[in-house]
Amino acid sequence: MAMLETLSLFLGIWLLFLLLAIYYLSQSPDGSVGRFRESVSGHLSAESRAKALLREMLTESQYQQLIKFGYLEIPSPSIDNRVYRVPGSGGLVKVYERGCAVMELCLQPAEPLPDGDVVVMHKLMIEGNEQEYLQKANHFAPGIISLRCQHP
Amino acid sequence: MGMLRIMSRRGDDRITWDVQKVEAHDPEAVAAIEEAERIFEKSRREGATAFKVEAGSTVKRIDEFDRTAEQIVIVPRVVGG
Repeated sequence: MAMLETLSLFLGIWLLFLLLAIYYLSQSPDGSVGRFRESVSGHLSAESRAKALLREMLTESQYQQLIKFGYLEIPSPSIDNRVYRVPGSGGLVKVYERGCAVMELCLQPAEPLPDGDVVVMHKLMIEGNEQEYLQKANHFAPGIISLRCQHP
Repeated sequence: MGMLRIMSRRGDDRITWDVQKVEAHDPEAVAAIEEAERIFEKSRREGATAFKVEAGSTVKRIDEFDRTAEQIVIVPRVVGG
């Protein structure tokens, strides 16, 4: 019984020190937890800004499609019956013609962007610069690669 | 109002300007549009692509800064993955 009480006391003291250490580091701008906190808050801020941009750039039905199905379909401005299916959280863009998958495209920003901004990037490039988009993207036969594109 | 939005890992940064105030030589508005123009040129040199986005019209790629644009979005350089 005395052993159990001693163990609980040690555990309590250890937890107290741990909490004090975390508090101390989080208060210090030079501390690693402080930096971690800044990094997390920066990431959340970038994601929320990207989400705001996404909402502005998409119509309500496009936004609902993205939320519901996890992808955004963008009709080709120059090729009849072609649709680009842009995934909402990274990966290859699937290209469909008359409902059949014809190829997959991999194109990514040279610097990492929040997921929402990547969707907007694809939309702008397809709608405003389709030929260059097709020129720059790597083309794959449908279904060959299903892994998410990795940044270099 | 015009707006330049520059996509980056931080989300998009924005610069806005009032065309009417620029025409009236308002110093703040002039400074804002000059800064937007400088960033536009720098981003283009670095391989970024700029798009003019306006409500009710199709997206258009632009190579020169358009002071009258409602919104210009700069997409950083892209590469095939």
